[in-house]
Amino acid sequence: MKLMQSLVDWVDVRLGVRQIWIANSSDYLVPRNINKWYSLGTVLLVLFGLQFVTGILLLIHYVPDVEKAFASVERIVNVVPFGWLIRSLHAVGSNLIVVVLLLHMLSVLFMGSYKRPRELTWLSGFGLFNLGLILCLTGYLLPWSQLSFWATTVATDAAGALPVIGAELVEFLRGAPSVGPQTLGRFFALHVVVLPFALVGLIGFHLFCVRRNGISTPPFGPDARPAKVGGFFEHEKNPGGIPFFPNYTLEEMGVVCFFLALLVAVTFFAPQIFVPYSALEPADPFTTPEHIKPEWYFLWAYQTLKIFPSKLMGLVVQIGLMTFLALLPFIDRGAERRPIKRPIFVTVYVLILLVMIGLSIWGHYS
Amino acid sequence: MNDHPVGAPPRRKFLAVLLGLVGAALTGFFAWPVLRFLAPAESVQGAGKVQVAKSLVPVGEAHLFSFNGRPAVLLQKKPGEFIALTAVCTHLGCIVKWVQDDQELLCPCHGGRFSAEGVVLSGPPPSPLERYPVSLQDDQILIG
Amino acid sequence: MKRVMVQSAVLLCLLVVGVVDVDAAEKSSCLQCHADLGGPLSKPVGLWQASVHAENRVSCHDCHGGDASELSMEAMSPVRGFIGVPKYGGVPDFCGRCHIGVKEDYDASAHGLALNNGGAQCVLCHGDHAIKQADLDLINEQSCSRCHEYDRAAKIRTALAEVDSAIALLDLEIKQLFRTGIATRDMSGELFSVRNDFHRLFHNVDVEAVTAQSASFLERLEKTSGRVDSIKSDLGQRKLIGAVVVVLLIAAGILFLLLRRTYGENKSPR
Repeated sequence: MKLMQSLVDWVDVRLGVRQIWIANSSDYLVPRNINKWYSLGTVLLVLFGLQFVTGILLLIHYVPDVEKAFASVERIVNVVPFGWLIRSLHAVGSNLIVVVLLLHMLSVLFMGSYKRPRELTWLSGFGLFNLGLILCLTGYLLPWSQLSFWATTVATDAAGALPVIGAELVEFLRGAPSVGPQTLGRFFALHVVVLPFALVGLIGFHLFCVRRNGISTPPFGPDARPAKVGGFFEHEKNPGGIPFFPNYTLEEMGVVCFFLALLVAVTFFAPQIFVPYSALEPADPFTTPEHIKPEWYFLWAYQTLKIFPSKLMGLVVQIGLMTFLALLPFIDRGAERRPIKRPIFVTVYVLILLVMIGLSIWGHYS
Repeated sequence: MNDHPVGAPPRRKFLAVLLGLVGAALTGFFAWPVLRFLAPAESVQGAGKVQVAKSLVPVGEAHLFSFNGRPAVLLQKKPGEFIALTAVCTHLGCIVKWVQDDQELLCPCHGGRFSAEGVVLSGPPPSPLERYPVSLQDDQILIG
Repeated sequence: MKRVMVQSAVLLCLLVVGVVDVDAAEKSSCLQCHADLGGPLSKPVGLWQASVHAENRVSCHDCHGGDASELSMEAMSPVRGFIGVPKYGGVPDFCGRCHIGVKEDYDASAHGLALNNGGAQCVLCHGDHAIKQADLDLINEQSCSRCHEYDRAAKIRTALAEVDSAIALLDLEIKQLFRTGIATRDMSGELFSVRNDFHRLFHNVDVEAVTAQSASFLERLEKTSGRVDSIKSDLGQRKLIGAVVVVLLIAAGILFLLLRRTYGENKSPR
């Protein structure tokens, strides 16, 4: 203990780490009425960290070769000690991340936290959401199962609906006219190097934004006021708030533990809910499995493409919605954040949410 | 801690100890699978014995093969007299070469020389090459 | 920044899943033409689609020959190996090209020996095109008494029942294991081989032989079911450990929240 103390002292004299620690822990005050929804960011941080660990472990035994990929994953699951656990945690974890990403985004939307001065936090967060989805998409090609092959075929095929560049773009995404070794090569590089690096960088920026602006005050209770909109930078202080550490950190850790419990429960008791049958068969480029469906988080998009008469129209609607969401802080510029004073926003919010859920269910059963 | 009206310290300490215990158990539950996952593969069944066809080792020549996961060399010095040695030099672990003209083994890294029996002839190797028992079975040589 | 976001939104949507024509890849020219011909000439298409052959991707040309990539009558030219429809007595040879073992036993059986006198052959029981996999239900009073009394057949059926249900049970268990991601190729291979030999036994239609061999089949099945049981017990253990970890994590979560409450709403001292 004493050795530890003197070690910290040594570093502290040179870098003043204690000052940084205090400024970011007990002196960093967060709003007194902060709620559990605010811990979802930390949950995501932990889940992404877990994906890095399990991903690196899988990388030890995985072989990115169309002839060997499926067998190597089969070996991980059946032969390597605890390989099944690492693989399942990685696969279930990715699905849980999408769930938490959605919850995090929905709570930020509902509380209007994306508003000025937090536009950059929102934009980087929206970027992280997309990165997360692309990580999922590139990830499930790697086991080279029927699901991998055909989901990627269909997903890249959608780009073909774009006018003029469509056909070239499809081929560029695949690296060949059809999904094959070249596709596996580039998706592998994306999934294990490019996207994780981008993710870490963007998470860093996102956290920087959060810390620099200060945590937004929940727009509930009698003291809630519209967002402060000034003409200059100002850190949102919370005099009389609670310390970030240990008070709020402990609460966050509690929520993290509950999500980890959920992850472990699904991993041990129902890992197959996220593994459709076609994921268990090796890829066969000459046989499309019947009734292939995208992952649950892409079902809404899948159904949108189906209900519009032309693929291009469906695509345009999707792009429109995503662009609208990305640019929301610049479109919805009012200072009011209290949901009760934003009836139109809340109505649209609920309607879009219901439509998305409805489309997903429709897509699932169609 | 004395200026804390709410949250009795004994209670906090008790919870912290309890949390530490649960945390230690959980760490164990996560660390053990990772250690097992990273552990070296268990030796293959039937290890300890390797078969090599006699035809692969002509008189005066050498044949390199893998013995229990490590390189080994099989020599036929005189007709019917087979010698199996580890091919890993005892100096720094390079793989020895059979020099047919001199009928001896040479380590290319630092010039260590071994006789066909594995005895150090010259150079830095501190000890002879380990010799493995050899037996004959029809047209096969059984090592180990 | 704005442009980057738009680009990433576009990229996301591009990656989002669309629809493909599922059938296009698998259609042979035989199926394409015959499906449209109507009447008796298109009937085999529907029958085949419900068959064990379709399930295992054994297509028209695998039995009838011809060129399934040719979209004209030329596909059915003898030059392209087209065989067409076998005669009644030619059916065992037709099917026996693939089902070699079964044919051997059939040839030696009462059914096979009587073939030239109108004895039963493959399609009489298994059907043509809508070919059914051999199972106990194929032996029934209605079917057998078309040619002879049912009593001997009933005896065979009884003798086969035990092994048959053991195979069916094991098959189900292996399929369940496969669904959870277990590599079951070895086990289903073993089972396949047992089932194959067992189905050959159906065909010698000899009551004594069937009764005598049932025991040895059950023994062979035990080896596979032993492996299935040990995997299932492993899976059970995993669940137990998983439950412990879940409970510990929930306990840790509750402890964290309780610990947080000891700090109240006050600024902690430095």
